[in-house]
Amino acid sequence: MPEGLIQAAGDIAGRPDLWLILFAAACYGIFVGTIPGLTATMAVALFVPVAYWLDPLAAITAIVAIVACAIFAGDLPTVYLRIPGTPASAAYADQAYRLHQRGLGGRVLGVSLLCSVTGGILGAIVLMLLGGQLANVARWFSVTEYLWLYVIGLSCAVLVSPGTARWKALVSLLIGWLLASVGWSAVHGVPRFAFGYAPLYQGISFIPAMIGLFGLSEVFANLSRDALDGQADQPASSETEAVGEAANADGTVTGPWRDFVWRLKHRPGGIARSSGLGVLIGMLPGAGADIASWVSFAMGKRRGDDPDSDTVQAIGDATTANSSALAGGWIPALVFGIPGDSVTAIVIGVLLMKNVTPGPAIFEDQSALVYSIYLVFLCANLVMLPVGAIAIAFAGRLVRIPKRVLLPVIVLFCVTGAYALNASLFDVVVMTAMGLAGFLLNRFGFPLGPVVLGLILGSPLEERLVQALTASGGRLTGLVDRPIAAVLACVAAAVWLRIFQVMIRESRAAKWSNG
Amino acid sequence: VTLICPWSAGGGTDRVARQLAAQLKDELDVPVNVVNATGGGGAIGHSRGALARPDGYTLTMATVELNMLHWRGICPITPDDFRPLAKLNQDSAAVFVRRDSAWQTLSDLRAAVDEAASPVRASGTASGGIWHIAWVGWLQAAGLPADATTWVSMSGAAPSLQELMAGGIDVVCCSLPEAGTLLQAGEIRCLGLMSERRSPAAPEVPTCSEQGIDWSMGGWRGLVYPRGVPEQRVARMEQAVLEIARGERFAGFMQASGFQRDVADGRQFAAFLDRMDSDFGDILQQPAMKQQALPPIGAYWMPAACGALLVSIAGFGWITSRSGGEVEPAEPSGTDGKLLSGVLASLLGFLMLYESLGYVLSCGLLLAVLLTLLKVRWPVTALLVCVLVPTTYQVFSGLLGVPLPWGVLGW
Repeated sequence: MPEGLIQAAGDIAGRPDLWLILFAAACYGIFVGTIPGLTATMAVALFVPVAYWLDPLAAITAIVAIVACAIFAGDLPTVYLRIPGTPASAAYADQAYRLHQRGLGGRVLGVSLLCSVTGGILGAIVLMLLGGQLANVARWFSVTEYLWLYVIGLSCAVLVSPGTARWKALVSLLIGWLLASVGWSAVHGVPRFAFGYAPLYQGISFIPAMIGLFGLSEVFANLSRDALDGQADQPASSETEAVGEAANADGTVTGPWRDFVWRLKHRPGGIARSSGLGVLIGMLPGAGADIASWVSFAMGKRRGDDPDSDTVQAIGDATTANSSALAGGWIPALVFGIPGDSVTAIVIGVLLMKNVTPGPAIFEDQSALVYSIYLVFLCANLVMLPVGAIAIAFAGRLVRIPKRVLLPVIVLFCVTGAYALNASLFDVVVMTAMGLAGFLLNRFGFPLGPVVLGLILGSPLEERLVQALTASGGRLTGLVDRPIAAVLACVAAAVWLRIFQVMIRESRAAKWSNG
Repeated sequence: VTLICPWSAGGGTDRVARQLAAQLKDELDVPVNVVNATGGGGAIGHSRGALARPDGYTLTMATVELNMLHWRGICPITPDDFRPLAKLNQDSAAVFVRRDSAWQTLSDLRAAVDEAASPVRASGTASGGIWHIAWVGWLQAAGLPADATTWVSMSGAAPSLQELMAGGIDVVCCSLPEAGTLLQAGEIRCLGLMSERRSPAAPEVPTCSEQGIDWSMGGWRGLVYPRGVPEQRVARMEQAVLEIARGERFAGFMQASGFQRDVADGRQFAAFLDRMDSDFGDILQQPAMKQQALPPIGAYWMPAACGALLVSIAGFGWITSRSGGEVEPAEPSGTDGKLLSGVLASLLGFLMLYESLGYVLSCGLLLAVLLTLLKVRWPVTALLVCVLVPTTYQVFSGLLGVPLPWGVLGW
């Protein structure tokens, strides 16, 4: 083992072109991740024709850096414009944007950058030390276990939705779930609610929906005289201070740094938990960074004396988890050749193209390459630190554009981003409709995060239910007769008990305040 | 040129499409962008390809589902709606079991299916998909009823193989390259290949007919134009595609990816499509196939349950908040109704003009109208429109290779 490691380290250190590629890929990742509508997967898919010209290690290096940076960069428009750049940022879009409105945007982004880097590095270390053993965990997961995992993911969204009554979060979730049932149902082999209209067959894709719900709806909400003239929620002077603070030392982000050090001292458990959780969820095919970020955000939420700090720390947990999930996705890909997410599916394709076949044999035949991949993970996350800091400083300046000019430009980006994913006009229509829906929902105090999660998880959850029931011959006991499934079912039940408890308390509190 | 891929980014078809696009770009010296038009089990992409303007600028990477969708009544598109250019590859179906499975040969499996107390569970794709049909065809060729096994409808080969490893199902039917890495790793075993001859990629795997059950079935990929493209352009594109497909670089890629290359020109491809179409018609028209795999809960069960829950929870919330007199969070600044309807109206106009005017014109117009609505001074408006819109177009279309509508300006 150490020989392979030393050889790998030598390989990487002796190749300056690799560092150049790493840096270029990081910039490209940041750029694509920042554009709402272009996901990390899209960034990698667009890169594949270029990968043909690179050797395996260089191609992998570039992909690792692109994905890591794209997932972090998704936080930039999330914090400043409330448009999640990638789905992995949707979990905390509302909370992060609210902090920005109170002038804490720079601080949130700084913490997010530092936590993404920690998450990525811890994930890489777990991958390095336990990759082989963890791969065996993934093979215990059948459709039944996924069913319960999705149930837990959905429940977490209800539990974490900010500052509103639980029932409103539940209503939002169900609306998203209902929207998800539009279109082609693969397990049933029939179209639902499509009314014979072809574009509806593909259903409501969640990326345009997300851009509309969060981004366009915020534009609508700002169309008032007060907001436009900057009296209502002008990011106070502290905003410029926070941004200035982030910008002044290029790389040494002082304000967030304090948060981060506090975090290291007081919440080492949170860091360990969220990166562990990220790796575990990330390596399950079909789960991935979005769910990891949602669950981790739910677990990180605490009610303390200082709600702002607590939210910042919870966002830190979520960003740690979504970065470490990326490393997790490589475990089944390298060990079995089964992709953990859509990015590693492309990676397997690229590796095959280079005559490298993933699988247990790769650890013996090409151990140097495997170790190089681990090291590349570490390097990519280190390179992200300066590149990300520059991006934060740059984005901070953009926000100072007056709202009258900024809003139309946001509309332009919403429209372009919604179209870019599938080159379909229908997606732009969906985005506009969702913008209006999001505006109305927000107006009446319904949270938007659960709508998006319902849209993402609605169909897979139903699919898994149908598959599990088909496999068990229609018996309901088939849903809990495997040990892990039973454990996960208990966790789900516990989360739901907690939700009901909170709901009852809320309705009592409402009665009291009245009576 | 736009190349429509009916399957999602990262899958096998997408990989072939992107490889071909990169080489076409070199060959024709024009940008070739891949668009993933996914959904409806391939129905979306194939429909879009068939209905595209027949100007020769839209290609479709058609797959075997083109032979199946219309028989299943999902969409009216048939091979007759396309002008075939070239067939690129064909992969045969194969039967896989777990390493620790007791079944060593197809006859073991046949006996097990025949005698099993609870039905053997199989998967590989969604119900009615290509591997499902291959499996049912094999059952029939082996003299077993079509409903002798339970087909669990999964979204593709990769999740099915994962499920096989987890022990949720007993058999997977899919193509060799899809299971290649697990097979090489020795985690799964291949019992038989549904082909007339052995595969060069895995010569040790016996075929079905060698084991006494005469049956072959496979999926194909090929490049097609919509009907009505001028013959001159068809000829030029066909020549370019065949040049690439028969070339060494493409062969190397296909071999490295484990796909079996099987190139045929437009005329042979068309004859092949006709033959496949009638074969699939025979299998899919059978009553046993139609009845198979009715899922345990109906298609509208879940939406109905969701709707009922939604109504009851909303009712509960409404009553508690009313009786509790919960204070609605008052909006500090009411949205300006006039402005909102103005913005909505301009968005609506934009949606109608977008694809005919093209990106630069329609987006420029939208931006100009919105900025004027918000009373931004005109020099700023003019500057923003002239700089921002073309830059965005250039970044997306030129730098990233994401196609945007070009419309009348060709830009």
